[in-house]
Amino acid sequence: MRIKWSTILPHLVLTVFSLAILLPLVWVLRVSLTDKLTAYRIPPEIGHIGLENYVEIFSVYPFERWFFNSLLVALLSTAISLPLATAMAYAFARFNTGGAMLRLGVLASQMLPPIILVLPLFTLFFTTGLMQTHLGLVLSHLTISLPFLAWMLVSFFEGDSASLEEAARIDGATRWQAFIKIAVPVAAPGILAAGLLGFILSWNEFLFALVLSGASTQTLPIGLASMETHAGVEIAPLAAATVVSLLPVFALLPFLRKYLIKGLSLGALK
Amino acid sequence: MSGIKASAADRRDARFGYVLAAPSLTVLFLIILFPVLSALYTSLHEYTLIAPNFDIFTGFDNFRLALADAEFRHSAWLTIRFVIGVVLLEFVIGFGIALMLNKVERFKPIYYAILLCPLLMNPVIVGLIWRMFLHPNLGIVNYLLSTVGLGPVNWLGDTKIAIWTVIMVDIWHQVSFMIVLLLAGLASLPKEPYEAARVDGANAFQCFIHITLPMMRTVIIVTLLIRLIFAVKTYDLIYIMTRGGPGVATDLVSYFIYRTAFVGLNIGEASAMSIILLTAILGLTAYLYRYMRSIR
Repeated sequence: MRIKWSTILPHLVLTVFSLAILLPLVWVLRVSLTDKLTAYRIPPEIGHIGLENYVEIFSVYPFERWFFNSLLVALLSTAISLPLATAMAYAFARFNTGGAMLRLGVLASQMLPPIILVLPLFTLFFTTGLMQTHLGLVLSHLTISLPFLAWMLVSFFEGDSASLEEAARIDGATRWQAFIKIAVPVAAPGILAAGLLGFILSWNEFLFALVLSGASTQTLPIGLASMETHAGVEIAPLAAATVVSLLPVFALLPFLRKYLIKGLSLGALK
Repeated sequence: MSGIKASAADRRDARFGYVLAAPSLTVLFLIILFPVLSALYTSLHEYTLIAPNFDIFTGFDNFRLALADAEFRHSAWLTIRFVIGVVLLEFVIGFGIALMLNKVERFKPIYYAILLCPLLMNPVIVGLIWRMFLHPNLGIVNYLLSTVGLGPVNWLGDTKIAIWTVIMVDIWHQVSFMIVLLLAGLASLPKEPYEAARVDGANAFQCFIHITLPMMRTVIIVTLLIRLIFAVKTYDLIYIMTRGGPGVATDLVSYFIYRTAFVGLNIGEASAMSIILLTAILGLTAYLYRYMRSIR
């Protein structure tokens, strides 16, 4: 039997590529399950397998505080920005509020490098006492999630519900009712998916938390980075902390798949 | 008569639009526009954090200092090369993988599920795990190289290699972004042109050049532009993996501004640099915006 290279070759390349993505993640999982000495042994050996590192990150490091701070900041900033962004996106889509300039402003806000905002936010928070507070962090994360959600949700309202809303208006519904009772429910799956993406953006945020948080308000990324510096060589607990920090994102991924392309392309592609 | 009525309804529509947008706009004004304006103010002053009343207006001095600063010019130029490098490499690899994924049927869902994994990963985590793998003596990468007689390579400690190491890690993290968007574009292409070309005797390469590339044009441009703007912001990976080093070998502009402000405590000059960066980002964003509107 002759081997057809044109069918085998893509699978060969895709397998190598998939392994290049997957093996590092599997290796982190493996390191997280070994003890500290085995984690460093070169050449690697299987050795002991256990959950000690997962216990240690909660007992030796304030992991639950980092986790709680990340969760609190991400939930609050998403809960605030989602309804605000939904209303503005609907105004953009239906009434062209503010025209092209305002939309460009929202897109530009989203593209803004965080380093540009963190300088003035630092001085503002310094003078207003918001430094190192949860409220300050939530406000700083709004600068990421609000423009992202507003921009992304516009395309969800440019779809099917416009004619339904018109019919309802003819039947005597107010503009507000057409928005809340028809447009929002029709777009609800997209709005929720966008909210999940907003949550992940905040969950992953680093620079604002680095500059604006304090010991008691540190988020996970800051905690992980500090583990790396002060523990120096302890990669086994670090791997365990990494695995736990990735769990929420991987858990949300299946719910996002349908909306991923829209989210990544900022609504330009379907 | 009906015209007047319609325009009254239009006016009420417009008013309702502003009512809906007002809360968001207020927040955006307070947390984005106001801080950006205050950065602009700071950039024009000799700024002292502790005694705001002693700020001295210095005009464009901070900008002059920033533009004359050899380290700032180095980091700006390095950022441009880094951005072009990662975007091009990710595009070439991503397009290749997307083309193959578009061709295969079997195992496609498995390949796709795997490549989604890095997509939403925290850059801090990506940096940390790769630092672990790339450790010169204790990392798995150098061990694997040694088994085939290569290395050891000082991945993050060598001034010539470090930037390429960061680029490789960025590719590992971000290439999936390209694949997902380009694959979506490929999947939506019509089949007929390919069938017609095959009848005319065109080979796969000719089909790619004369059919795939022209029809993918808008998808390619949008994907490249978005990735480009995001690559300019690269900060987390540098902070975690190299802190701009060794020396200034990986000192991308976001990290350099951070250092100037929070290590050098030169907030005025750092603000001037961030305004320069802002101008570049605004230009790119305006171009992306115009392009997105033109394809609607």
